[in-house]
Amino acid sequence: MKKIAIVDGVRTPFVKAWTHFDRLPAQRLGAMCVTELLQRTDFNPENVDEVIMGCVGQPIDAANVARVISLYAGIPKDKKAYTVNRNCASGFEALTSAAEKIRAGVDEIVIAGGAESMSNAPFTFTKEMSTLLLKLSRAKTLSQKLGIVAGMRPRHFKPVAALQLALTDPVCGLNMGETAEVVAKKFGVLRARQDEFAVQSHKKAVMARGLLREEIMTVHISPKYGKYVQDDNGPRENQSIEALAKLRTIFDRRSGTVTAGNASQITDGACALLVMDEAKAKAMGYEILGTLREYEYVGLEPSEMGMGPAFAIEKVLRKSGLSLKEIDLFEINEAFAAQVLASVEALASKKFAEENFSGRAPVGEIDPERLNVNGGGIALGHPVGVTGARLVLTCLKELKRRSLKRGLVSLCVGGGQGSALILERN
Amino acid sequence: MPTAETQVSPQAWKLREEKGIGILELDQAATEVNVLTSGNIAEFRDHVAAIARRKDLKALIITSAKKRIFIAGADIREIEGISTEQEAFDKAHQGKVVLQMLEDLPMPTIAVINGACLGGGYELALAADYRVASFSPNVKIGLPEVNLGILPGFGGSIRLPKLLGLLKALPLILAGRIVSAEDALRYGMVDKLFAEKSLLEDTIHFAKDLIAQVPGAMRKKGKTHFVNWFLEKTPAGRRIVFGKARKDVLKKTKGFYPAPVEILDLLQKTYGKNPSRAYKLESKHFAKLAVTEVSKNLIKLFFLSEKYKKYAWTAAKVPSAKVKKCGIVGAGVMGGGIAQLVSSKNIPVRIKDINEEALGGALREARRVFDGALKRRKIKKHDLEYKMGLISVGLTNAGLKSADMLVEAVVENMDIKKKVFAELSEIASPDAVLTSNTSSLSITEMASVCKNPARVVGLHFFNPVHRMPLVEVIRASQTSDETVERTVQFARGLGKTVIVVKDAPGFLVNRLLLPYLNESAYMMQEGLTPDVIDKIARDFGMPMGPVELTDQVGIDVGYKVAHILHAAFGDRMKVAPILETVYKKGFLGVKSGSGFYRYRAGKKDLNPGVTFGKATGATPSPEDILKRMVYIMINEAARCLDEKIIDGPATVDIGMVMGTGFPPFRAGLLAYADSVGAANIVRDLKRFQETIDAERFAPAPFLEKLAENNSGFFTQ
Repeated sequence: MKKIAIVDGVRTPFVKAWTHFDRLPAQRLGAMCVTELLQRTDFNPENVDEVIMGCVGQPIDAANVARVISLYAGIPKDKKAYTVNRNCASGFEALTSAAEKIRAGVDEIVIAGGAESMSNAPFTFTKEMSTLLLKLSRAKTLSQKLGIVAGMRPRHFKPVAALQLALTDPVCGLNMGETAEVVAKKFGVLRARQDEFAVQSHKKAVMARGLLREEIMTVHISPKYGKYVQDDNGPRENQSIEALAKLRTIFDRRSGTVTAGNASQITDGACALLVMDEAKAKAMGYEILGTLREYEYVGLEPSEMGMGPAFAIEKVLRKSGLSLKEIDLFEINEAFAAQVLASVEALASKKFAEENFSGRAPVGEIDPERLNVNGGGIALGHPVGVTGARLVLTCLKELKRRSLKRGLVSLCVGGGQGSALILERN
Repeated sequence: MPTAETQVSPQAWKLREEKGIGILELDQAATEVNVLTSGNIAEFRDHVAAIARRKDLKALIITSAKKRIFIAGADIREIEGISTEQEAFDKAHQGKVVLQMLEDLPMPTIAVINGACLGGGYELALAADYRVASFSPNVKIGLPEVNLGILPGFGGSIRLPKLLGLLKALPLILAGRIVSAEDALRYGMVDKLFAEKSLLEDTIHFAKDLIAQVPGAMRKKGKTHFVNWFLEKTPAGRRIVFGKARKDVLKKTKGFYPAPVEILDLLQKTYGKNPSRAYKLESKHFAKLAVTEVSKNLIKLFFLSEKYKKYAWTAAKVPSAKVKKCGIVGAGVMGGGIAQLVSSKNIPVRIKDINEEALGGALREARRVFDGALKRRKIKKHDLEYKMGLISVGLTNAGLKSADMLVEAVVENMDIKKKVFAELSEIASPDAVLTSNTSSLSITEMASVCKNPARVVGLHFFNPVHRMPLVEVIRASQTSDETVERTVQFARGLGKTVIVVKDAPGFLVNRLLLPYLNESAYMMQEGLTPDVIDKIARDFGMPMGPVELTDQVGIDVGYKVAHILHAAFGDRMKVAPILETVYKKGFLGVKSGSGFYRYRAGKKDLNPGVTFGKATGATPSPEDILKRMVYIMINEAARCLDEKIIDGPATVDIGMVMGTGFPPFRAGLLAYADSVGAANIVRDLKRFQETIDAERFAPAPFLEKLAENNSGFFTQ
C-alpha cells in the first residue's frame, strides 16, 4: 500500500474570534494559507489534483468553500475541490480522505486542511419569520403587504445564532460544554485539576511562541493592510490558577466545573497540508515532513463525546500493532480540560478497559511530559474545522525539532465520535 | 484570359437572399479586416440602389464575413492622404449620400454587428433601421474619430445624438469611447443582443417579426425624464449642456485639440435641426479638421503605436507562453504597482522584502489601485477579491524559485541590486527571466554576478505603473534574444507598449528627460520662477511642467539619477547646483509636502524655503526658455541614435509620447524636430552655447550632419 506523505504544511495564526480576522471569511483565510503553502514548497499549482478542506460552519456565501479556496489560491480551474465536515475532526477527515483518494489512485497530489471563521457564523431568522418574509416578498398589493407586516411580533425579530446551534448536539440535546460536564462528573475530574491543566496549556503555548512561528504564516489584514498578525493571540502570559478559579461555570451554574477558562477558545484560522504518495514526493525531490501511518474513527455515546480520544487511541494502536510506549509525542485536542483528563485517565484504567474494550488490558499511562508539549486548544484556540490539520502539523514539526520518530494525534468529535492518527518520521 | 486592364477587382460586397430577406455581406479581399474604402463604398451604393428597386425583398440584413470584425472603420490611410478641404468635404459627402440611400430604403434594414464596429463602420450601422450585435467580447462599438483629430463624417455626428439623445451621445463622441456589446445595449446604441453562434439566424427571425410587424419587435420610444427633456429639447437646456461640455473639453484639451471643439460647434448648430442642412455642416466641419496638422500627427502616431504593438524586436522565434508566476523583490511603490498590474491579469505574484511593514505597504499600494479601478467601475468587487488574493508576500525566497518571471525592484543602489541578483541567480529556476526595474543602472553589471547572464534584462516600468503605457526593455550586451523576446511578450501581455533600448545609463527616456528637468533647474538659478517655466512647457503641450514633474518624481530620485548621468556622460549633464541645495534641505517634492513648490491643502505655491537665483542680465524670451528645454532633449536623442541606443527615431517618439506624455498632437519629439528643421535647431543650440553654456548645448555631431545635409530624422 502507498505510504502517504505530508510534504509540508502551514497555518495562519489562530486568532480569537471577533478580533483581527473578524472581516476575513473562511474562504479568504483558507486561500491565504493554501497560497502560502504553494510558495513555501515552490509547488506548481498545475500539479495539484484536488483540494480537500474541512469546514464546519460553511460560509453561506461560499458553498463548497474548498472550491472557492482552490480558485482563490490560483490553482487552475480544471482541478477539483470539495469540503468535508466531520465536525471537530474535519481537519483529520480532509487528510484521511486525501490518503484514501491517493491510495485508490483517484488523486495523486492533494492539498488537505481546514478553514474556519467562527467570527463570521451568521445570525439567522427563525423559520416563522422566514415564512413571513417570503410571503411579504410575494405579496402583490399594498394591503396584503400591510397585513403581513401587521402580523409580525417582536419575538419574530429575535435572531438565531448559528454558532450556538452548531455547538449543540441535536440528538442528546446538550451543547458541547454540557457534554464536558457529563464527562467531568462521570470521571470525577475536579475543577482544580481542570484549571491547572488550562494554566499549563497557556504556559506551554507562551513558551513555544518562537517554535510555533515555524508553522505559522504572517497574515497582512485586508482591506487596509495596516497591520499584520504572526502569532496566535489566545495564549495568555500571566494566566494563573487564581484568575481561573474566579470564573463562573457556564454550563452548569450550580454544580458545574467547566468554565470558559478551562475550555477551548472560539477561534478563526486555517491550515493546509501538502499530501502525496511518499514515493512521488521523493521522486519530486522533496524532503518530507512525515507520513500517515494509521488512522481510525470511532462512534460513542453523544452525551459523552469528550471520551472520543480514549476509544479512538485504543483502536488505532490495536490496528497498527503499536503500544503506547512506542509513541514519542501526543497531541490530544483540548476541547475541554475535563475531557482530555478523563480520556487520559480512562486509557490507564483497568476498569474502563474491562467495561469498554472487551476485557483487554488497559492501553497505558500517557506521560504528561509528552502530551501537548506546545499547549493546546485551551490556549491556542479551536477553529473547529481546522484543528485536526493543525494537530498533524504541530506534531510533525515538533517530532522534527526533537528528532523523534512517532506521534499520535487525537480529537473528540461533537455528536459522539472520536478519532486518532499515527504519524511517523523516518 | 482577361488582361490586366479588364480584370475587375474582386467584389467586396455580396448579396444573397433567404426567403425574401436580402443579406448583404462585406468580405474585403486579401485582408483580415473590413474597412470602408472609396471603392467598396461605391460598390455598396450600387447594391443599395438595386435593392431599392427590388419589390420582392422584404428586409435587408447587412453583415460581415470576417470573424471578429464587422467594419473596423473608414480607411485611415485615405484620410491621411487628404490634402485639401474640398477633397475632404467630397469624401465625406459621397459616403453620406450612400448611407442616406440606405436609410431611405423602404424595407426594414438591420446591421448585424459581429465584432469591431468602429467609426465609419458604426456610422453605416447607424444608417440602418436596427442594429443587433452578439454577446461576444469581440464586439466593440464606438465613434473614436476624435482620437485621430477628426469627427464622424458619414453622418454619425448627426445620427447618434438623434438616436440616443444629446446627453448620452455627446460624451461618447467627444471622448471617442468604445463600448462593449452589453454597454451598447444599455446606451441604446444597439437594439438587441443575440448569441454569437446563432447571430444570423436570430437576426433573420427578428427581420421576419419586423416584416410581420409583430408587436414588441419594433423599437419603442423610451420615456424621457423631465430633466432630460428640459436639457435636450429646450434652447435654454441645451445652452447649459453645451456650456458645461465646452468647459470640460477646454479643461481637458487645453486648446491643443480642435476636434472636440468642432464637434461641439457642429452639434450645437445641428441638434434637433433639419437633417439635410446638418449633414452638409458635418461634412464642412469634418473637412476643416481633416487637413489640420494635429490630425495628421495623431494619425501618424496612431499608425506608429499600432506598429509598436506587434513590432518584432529580435529575430528570435519564441513561442508565446503566458507567464505563470511572477516574483518581485522589493516591496516599494514600484514593487506594489507592478504586483497590482501583474495580478490584474490573473497571474499569481510573490513579493519579497526584508520587513513586514514594507510588504504591507506593497499590498496597500496594490489595493489602492484596485480600489480606484473599482470606483471607476473598471472591475467588479468579486474580481478585486480574486485578483488581490493572487498577491502573496514573504520575507524569504520561498515562492521565487517557482516563478518564471522575476522582477527586481529594490532601491537604486548597485551593491544592493547585485546582492539581490546573486541570490536570485542561485535559487531561480533555470527557465526564469531575471529582470531589473532600474531606471538608470547598468544591467550588465547586475548580470555579472549571475550564473546565466544571458537571462538578465532590464524591465523599466514608469510610475504610476498602472497608468503609464510605456515599458523600456533594456537589452544588455549579454542578454539573449530569447530573454528579450519573452520579456517583451510579458510586458505586452500587461497591456504595455514596449521599446527595446540598449544598456546605457538612463536608457532612453530618463536620458532625455533628465537634461530637460536639469535645464529647468538651471533656469531657476538664473532667476526664473517655477511657475513661469512650467507654464511655458504646458503651453507647448506637456502634461506637466518640468519643475512640477521634478517634484512629482521626487527630488531625491531626480538628484540621484542626474548624478548617475553626469558621471556617465560628463559635463554636458552637470547637475544644476540648486537641485543639490534643495535636496540637502530635505525638500523631496510632493511626497514630503514641499519641493520647489509647497503643497498645502490641495494647493501649491512657491516654496519660500527655496532661494531661487537673482536675475542677471535680460530675462530670456519664452521662446528661448522652451527651446532650451526641448532642444536639449532633441540634441540628446540625436546622440542616442548615433550611439545606436535605440533602433531609430520612431522609437524615440513612441518612447517620449508614452513615457513622458510628450504632446501627441506634435507626433513625437523627433517628428517635432523635423517640423522645426535640424538647421534651425543647431543654430539655436550654437547661440545658447555662446551665451549660456558651452557644454550643455554643444550640438551633437549627428544633428549637425542632418543640418548640413538639410535632412531630418525621418527624412534622411
